Amino acid sequence: MIAPHGRPKARSAPGRRNLWVNRLRTDMRAALVVLALLALVPLVVTSPYTLGILIISIYFAMLALGWNLLAGFTGQFSLAPAAFAMLGAYTTALLDFHLKVPLAIGIPCAIVATGLIGWLLGRVVLRLRGPYLALTTLSFAEIARVVIGNSIEFTRGDQGLNVPTLFQSRVGYYYLFLAVLTFTLIGLYLLLRGRTGRFWLAIRDDATGAESRGIDVVRYKTWAFALSCAICGIAGSLYGTFSQLVSPELGLLAQTGIVISMVVIGGMGTLTGSIVGALLVYLASEWMRDFGGVQMIVFATVVIIFARFIRTGLWGMAQRLLATADKPANAREELP
Amino acid sequence: MSLLKTEGLSKHFGGVAAVDGAAFEVRQGEILGLIGPNGSGKTTALNMLSGFLPPDTGKVWLADQDVTGLSPVQLARRGLLRMFQMTRVFTRISTLDNLLTAGMAMGLSEAEAEKRAASLLEELTLSHVQYLDAGQLSGGQRKLLEFGMCFIEAPRIALLDEPFAAVHPVMRETMAGFIRRRHAQGQTFLLVSHDMPIVVDLCARAVCMNAGRVIAMGAMREVLENRAVIEAYLGSGSDG
Repeated sequence: MIAPHGRPKARSAPGRRNLWVNRLRTDMRAALVVLALLALVPLVVTSPYTLGILIISIYFAMLALGWNLLAGFTGQFSLAPAAFAMLGAYTTALLDFHLKVPLAIGIPCAIVATGLIGWLLGRVVLRLRGPYLALTTLSFAEIARVVIGNSIEFTRGDQGLNVPTLFQSRVGYYYLFLAVLTFTLIGLYLLLRGRTGRFWLAIRDDATGAESRGIDVVRYKTWAFALSCAICGIAGSLYGTFSQLVSPELGLLAQTGIVISMVVIGGMGTLTGSIVGALLVYLASEWMRDFGGVQMIVFATVVIIFARFIRTGLWGMAQRLLATADKPANAREELP
Repeated sequence: MSLLKTEGLSKHFGGVAAVDGAAFEVRQGEILGLIGPNGSGKTTALNMLSGFLPPDTGKVWLADQDVTGLSPVQLARRGLLRMFQMTRVFTRISTLDNLLTAGMAMGLSEAEAEKRAASLLEELTLSHVQYLDAGQLSGGQRKLLEFGMCFIEAPRIALLDEPFAAVHPVMRETMAGFIRRRHAQGQTFLLVSHDMPIVVDLCARAVCMNAGRVIAMGAMREVLENRAVIEAYLGSGSDG
């Protein structure tokens, strides 16, 4: 069949599955399958150590989702996800330490505080892109970490703060982290599925073009910043109650580097990629701990390989494989 | 009746006057050609009219309302939309998704946007690439897509910046046909183009700029025969 302008019809052209809602639906289904599998883990894994590792993996999955919302879906490359996790953890810890505020209030306060700070930072970096945006968020992250580390009378500095625990049971924590991750995932899916998600994608692809179409770029960028920071904030707050200690180390740039690696390996701009990337990287990092400093060399190499050759990450690879597997069936359908 | 009007519009970059006191009007339902040699200030004028550049001085009125200094978003919501010389489509989502996003940005429901998108894809001969990411389209197809995005909810006025530049003749005719049909329905356009045969064909009136100033304005034939316009295009030694 010849298309208009004499161009042959692209036989390899994707069908409706390439529409954003369909791509997102497939992504969401895969993410839910991963979460369902994770929900079964405590039935077979009873070791508190292993459950602890998985809980921290889920913590990183939340950070990866939060960062991916900003970088992968909205095109804003922030270097502050770990700093916002630290701020969330400190909000809950400081409220407990100074005012004896219960965790049931302290944790929501962390969400509000990090969301608000994220909103303000979003306003400041609104017109910045690329290296300028990255450097500004990095500066913010370092300032926050240094201020917390040096405010010894208020935060106890590098000694950190003790935080009460929510449960004694590791299984309880495991399911709490998993529930919050699931809730975050569903919330993001609903936003991405609607008007807001479409506008975020438009801003990611071309902010000037989005503005010319009548999309309020300022509003949607700031909103993405606030939401991303709030997700990191709740992750940090929960992590603080799990580890029962918060310290400025939570906000180290290296932590942000790990989050970025997770998303690059899993897949930028995907839900499943954030979760799978976080699980794989953190579990592999634990497995490689026995080999000393080699883990950072391995991750750096893997990130370079993905950034150079597999930009779409593992989720993109999986989608390509699925599409290839589908092709013979499609080809048969196209035959007269 | 004038739909879009400017007076004393100026923009300086350092010591250079990119636009210097430009004044013209676009009448309701017409296609006004904005012509001039390279560097005459046409795109800068368009940037000011569409809110992407604040004017140093001067005023802009849209349907008798002062819209000077409004943002592109505010102007888009008042029905002033533009197309860019370098196409601006959303490259990592499909062609159809681009149209849906543009429609939803103008307040349409997803269902309504999808209905209108189907008809625009047909009209712009883009149906066969509707599921391809916009980044995979040819330059001409991207221009057509941008037309569709601009017209998914008909604007009061469309500002078109070099829509025919570097486009295959068949696609150029598709675009020209699209403009003619919309014009016949009463759509107003401000058309910036170097493609004089198409400008002459589409526009009854024109404004010519040179060195940031409006040097001629009026019926197309009068503008083309204007001595200052001929000199601007051919140089001052063009007596014969």
